Amino acid sequence: MEINFVTGKGGVGKSAVAAALALKRARAGFRTILVELGDQSYFRDYFSLPSVGYQAQTLEISGVKFDLAQWSGQECLKEYILHIVKVESLYRLFFENAVTKALVNVAPALSELSILGKITSGPPRNVGPKMPYDVIVVDAYASGHFMALMNAPTGLATAIRFGSMGEQVRSIGKVLHDANLCKFFVVALPEELPVVEGLELAGNIKKVTGQSSKVLLNRLLPFSQELNADLTAHAEPALKNFSNYLQELEARQKSMQERILNSGHEAQSLPWILSSDAKEIIERLSRELQA
Amino acid sequence: MIQTLDSAKVLICVGSGGVGKTTLAAALGFLAAKRGRRVLVLTIDPSQRLKTTLNLSDSGDISVLQHADLRGKLSAAVIDPKKTFDEFVARAANKDDLVKKIANNKLYQQLSTTLSGSQEFTALEKLYSCYESGEYDLIILDTPPTKHAIDFLQAPQKLSTIFNEGVAKWFRHSEGSGSFLSNIVHAGTKQVLRVLESMTGSEFMRELSEFFQSIQSWQAKLEERINSVHRLLVNPSTHFCLVTSFDQAKLKEAAYFGREIRKGGYSLTSVVINRALPSWLLETPTGFSAGAATPVAQKFNEMKNYYQARDQFYQTFAQGLIAEMKNKDFVFRIPEFDRDISNIKDVAELAHLIESNESL
Repeated sequence: MEINFVTGKGGVGKSAVAAALALKRARAGFRTILVELGDQSYFRDYFSLPSVGYQAQTLEISGVKFDLAQWSGQECLKEYILHIVKVESLYRLFFENAVTKALVNVAPALSELSILGKITSGPPRNVGPKMPYDVIVVDAYASGHFMALMNAPTGLATAIRFGSMGEQVRSIGKVLHDANLCKFFVVALPEELPVVEGLELAGNIKKVTGQSSKVLLNRLLPFSQELNADLTAHAEPALKNFSNYLQELEARQKSMQERILNSGHEAQSLPWILSSDAKEIIERLSRELQA
Repeated sequence: MIQTLDSAKVLICVGSGGVGKTTLAAALGFLAAKRGRRVLVLTIDPSQRLKTTLNLSDSGDISVLQHADLRGKLSAAVIDPKKTFDEFVARAANKDDLVKKIANNKLYQQLSTTLSGSQEFTALEKLYSCYESGEYDLIILDTPPTKHAIDFLQAPQKLSTIFNEGVAKWFRHSEGSGSFLSNIVHAGTKQVLRVLESMTGSEFMRELSEFFQSIQSWQAKLEERINSVHRLLVNPSTHFCLVTSFDQAKLKEAAYFGREIRKGGYSLTSVVINRALPSWLLETPTGFSAGAATPVAQKFNEMKNYYQARDQFYQTFAQGLIAEMKNKDFVFRIPEFDRDISNIKDVAELAHLIESNESL
């Protein structure tokens, strides 16, 4: 079992990178599921699908198939409770009363823990219904919410020390710490804010899970030698504004790459794919991703 | 937009993460202050650089920004959610020993920092207390980042469900001697709580019961506050500005959110499509196409095609949004800045762009 978490500041292209990673793993022959978190689907609009829900559906990109699902805390918790109480009527009673509703609604640690419980339900924990996958790619929340997700087992462990939930909390925490099971990807853009926030995030992931993240610097415009020579020679006076923009962009890209390199994190740059076709973008990105 | 900035008492900037909400809130504040109003910009968790840009301190103190163009007054402050919530509870509970007991409860510690709805509630609580102070003509609230913009408006209602009298009452029955469960009479309730206890342990149940007992003293005040905040939000002098970026999924989400805001009875009076087309493209004469086959010309054509394809999509979206907003002046876009915004001069320039870029 391999679990990949993809996070980063909002708007950096996390979802596209997560989809590309899922496609890459599926192409390599692994049974793969791409999971998005939360109540509303991003991929529904992105791939123009009729709907995306808790039940997995198959997505096909250039002949390669993988599953896609969207997991909300509510549904993950339901599945878990049903697994524990086993009796449907008791489960109904439990779920359809005001106390549980209020608690589930308000306590994100509970909802987040349920999601983590579902993500880590495969081996070695083997909790709940079996999932037929080798690889899970999680298109996770942005920075702050992602850390709330990672902190949920630790935070709740102080409040719930006993009972079956206490055990669950501890074993989920263990999986997150295991480098053979979980991998973390932080996506950033070659701009100040996403890079600063991304590096801070990678530091926080290390603090909470003990794990190193791979930083993916997304949307870099490739500059060929010819293009640079052309720019230096001011060969296109009619395109002065554009040339200035390119030169500023290249300088910014370089300085952001350097900043990431100096941070000591494992890193990779991904090209800016100038296409508006979702599947083409994912296909080309997946070819660029290393390892 | 100008009309909104001149007349609104409260302006709430909403939108999903990464669309440039905070920077835009600052620029709108600048513009209103430039036009003579006393403005306060409230933000949660801004980046370090924006803090420097706006001269903000971590302590939550209000700082005043200086710029030659400002005829009014531009102030800004960071909301500290934990501090705001603690202060609210201390005021509402009104008894020292009780406040201490609440603060030590592990569930409360979770509530004041991570429980969903509490950050949104504190943002609105801060907004309300600044509004009540009467020191400002306009308060601009930059809402906390939510995965989906709609979460922000639903948060206070979510929070109030936990303080619902019916729910809290169950746990208060446990006061007195004996185990927590033995005092509960209703069989169904007992069964539910037994499942909960088997999952979480008796220690957690004790904390839970203690928590519900201790909130008794301030839950009425919290509900009252949530109600007054709601009244302020639906007041016609409170305007909503929906910020979105030039991204297919974000634009679709914005359209959905726009409908939700209006359904809730709030006045959505502007939609900003941020970082639309890059300025180099806008500055290039329309119809211009680079003929030469040099690398720069090739790159220009490639990127121009890319942005034009996106623009076409944007036009379709904008027409739908304009039709829904029933007024084209409500929707406008701001070109992509070719650099990071890092000081008050950049904020001033962005404000100028907004001013000169009125409507589509």
